[in-house]
Amino acid sequence: MSISVAQDRGRGQTGLLLVLLPVALVATLIIWPIVRAVMDTLIVTGPDGASLSFASYRFFFTDAHSMGNLRITIWTTAVSVSILMAIAIPIAIYLRFVTGRTAAVVQALAIFPLFVPSIILAYAFIRVLGPNGMVDLILGSFGLPRIRSPYLTPWGPVIGFVWDNLPLSVVILMAGLSNVTNNAVEAARDVGAGKFAILFHIILPRIWLSILVATSFVVLGLFSAFTFPYLLGPAAPEMMGPFMLRTFGDVMDPVQARTQAVITFLICAVFGWFYVRSIAKNRARREAA
Amino acid sequence: MKRRDLMKLGLAGLATPAIARMAHAQTARINMFTSSDANISDFWTNVIAPAFEAQNPGVSINVVIAREGGGTNVIAERALAALRTGAGPQMDMIESHDPFIPAGGIDEGLWVNWEEAGLANYGRINPLAIQSPFGLPYRGSQVLLAYDADRLPAADAPRTWDELSTWIRENPGEFIYNRPDRGGSGGNFVRRAIHEANGRDPSVFTIDNFDPETSPAMLDAGFELLAGLAPHMFEGGAYTSGNANSIQLLAQGAVTMIPAWSDMVLQAINEGVLPENTGLIQLQDLALSGGFSQAVVPVNAENLETTIALADFLLTDEMQNAVITAIGGFPGVSWEVLPAELRERFADVVPTSIPTFPGGDWGAAISDGWYRTVAPNLPRE
Repeated sequence: MSISVAQDRGRGQTGLLLVLLPVALVATLIIWPIVRAVMDTLIVTGPDGASLSFASYRFFFTDAHSMGNLRITIWTTAVSVSILMAIAIPIAIYLRFVTGRTAAVVQALAIFPLFVPSIILAYAFIRVLGPNGMVDLILGSFGLPRIRSPYLTPWGPVIGFVWDNLPLSVVILMAGLSNVTNNAVEAARDVGAGKFAILFHIILPRIWLSILVATSFVVLGLFSAFTFPYLLGPAAPEMMGPFMLRTFGDVMDPVQARTQAVITFLICAVFGWFYVRSIAKNRARREAA
Repeated sequence: MKRRDLMKLGLAGLATPAIARMAHAQTARINMFTSSDANISDFWTNVIAPAFEAQNPGVSINVVIAREGGGTNVIAERALAALRTGAGPQMDMIESHDPFIPAGGIDEGLWVNWEEAGLANYGRINPLAIQSPFGLPYRGSQVLLAYDADRLPAADAPRTWDELSTWIRENPGEFIYNRPDRGGSGGNFVRRAIHEANGRDPSVFTIDNFDPETSPAMLDAGFELLAGLAPHMFEGGAYTSGNANSIQLLAQGAVTMIPAWSDMVLQAINEGVLPENTGLIQLQDLALSGGFSQAVVPVNAENLETTIALADFLLTDEMQNAVITAIGGFPGVSWEVLPAELRERFADVVPTSIPTFPGGDWGAAISDGWYRTVAPNLPRE
């Protein structure tokens, strides 16, 4: 008895030692800079000492330019995630229930973007969908009119994001779909459920959590994305990533750049909370089972 | 201008007998930092370093690439910190750096004062290129207009700002420039508009005369010209995100004319990215602004004496010819001291003056103001 307690304690200490390094890294490289950033935006040092001020936040929320940039970021994220899920869920369901050569090809194609660096993708995008790009040349050879190129419009980054985030979403959704047993689907079919009934009553309820996780992941990545909005998006309004860098490096206004970062962080934190909560729920459910 | 000749000239330039004085024959490894584009780091590795090393046995130049933009600021801050503690900065030279960064560096005596460094060739420098005694302008680059000569005959190419504005209005969608903070070609096009709106007198803008009260109005006048042109730009007011992206659109035939750095556009033509019949022209009423790369050396450099010899070497005929012929750059020395043959060859693109635009507060105000007033492409009458 006393031996097993000692062993438990030893194991607990080893566990603590193992998490010490990541926790220390998170504390020094992430938590502390966040605290510093928030303090820098709230405390103004004047001639008569430091004082609390919301001026930088007031500027952000009353400045049409800044708010326009925040709005386009939310719009781009919402549209990208919607399109992404509309594409990724059918692919994941297809890959869950179909086997064979075609399915293998589809899977390879869906995972392929994972291996292409986004900067390469951005330049490929310009060559294919850009003005006088490949699509225009093909259309032109059939005497068809050119496309209105999405390059340098808000749709440019959207197309890039959807392509770039497809593999991650498909993989997360497929993991969720492993919760859907063939037995459950067959049982539903036996009692006469149609395809849509199976989708809405059997499949979707079981992968709801995975959809939430995939959405949170993608939103966190998109909200502060840089490469696609920088290379493919319009000059104005611009997404928060390029906007923050420009405010810091070119406008040389670090306080306003930090204010933008804190606002971006707070919005992302909401989705981070969704993610953490769904993971915790999932674990609680598994432990109960 | 015949571009094929550039390459031949480049080889001839390298064969010119060296006239630089020999540095001490000792073992030294010069750490030279750069944040410039690949054409410049290649120029150091392939042209400057071998030439200097051949003349100075035992000396080697270590070219350290510190991109992205701002990479050399950190190196300069480290040199200042080292100066305060009496340590070595592990750096001998930055080939292009604003000596006013970091703040206070000049006051604390961080940089070598070139006026007093005893360079044999210092007197040959073009006085227009000197912005501070702490930066050595060894190469420059200017922004030109590059155009597709198939669609726009050279005789019809605009030569003044007014002709350019008229051409842009009459040919909607055929012109694009990049965002002013994302590369100097678009940045200096924006600055040219600001010059136009302020009496075409570059001297009204100096490094220390930005006034938060009155200066924004001067910039706004330029932005108004650009906003007026915006609906006639590519896609009714789209702006690329860099020098290279504009060149790509010209290469794809999506636009007819772009502003471009002289060195980048010449390299693009030599590599076949742009066709042979790409036309180049400079505005004759006032050239688009250019920039000179200011080389800086910290006084606590480990190889100070050899590095100063290298700085002098950069201003020799041999290296200055190479700047023109190998990278399509602009010499740091006065045109008068260069061979007449070279001057004639490049007569088309040599402006009568070399306007520059100060950085510092002006640069920040231009970036912020342009994004707020020109980029949103608001509907206008």
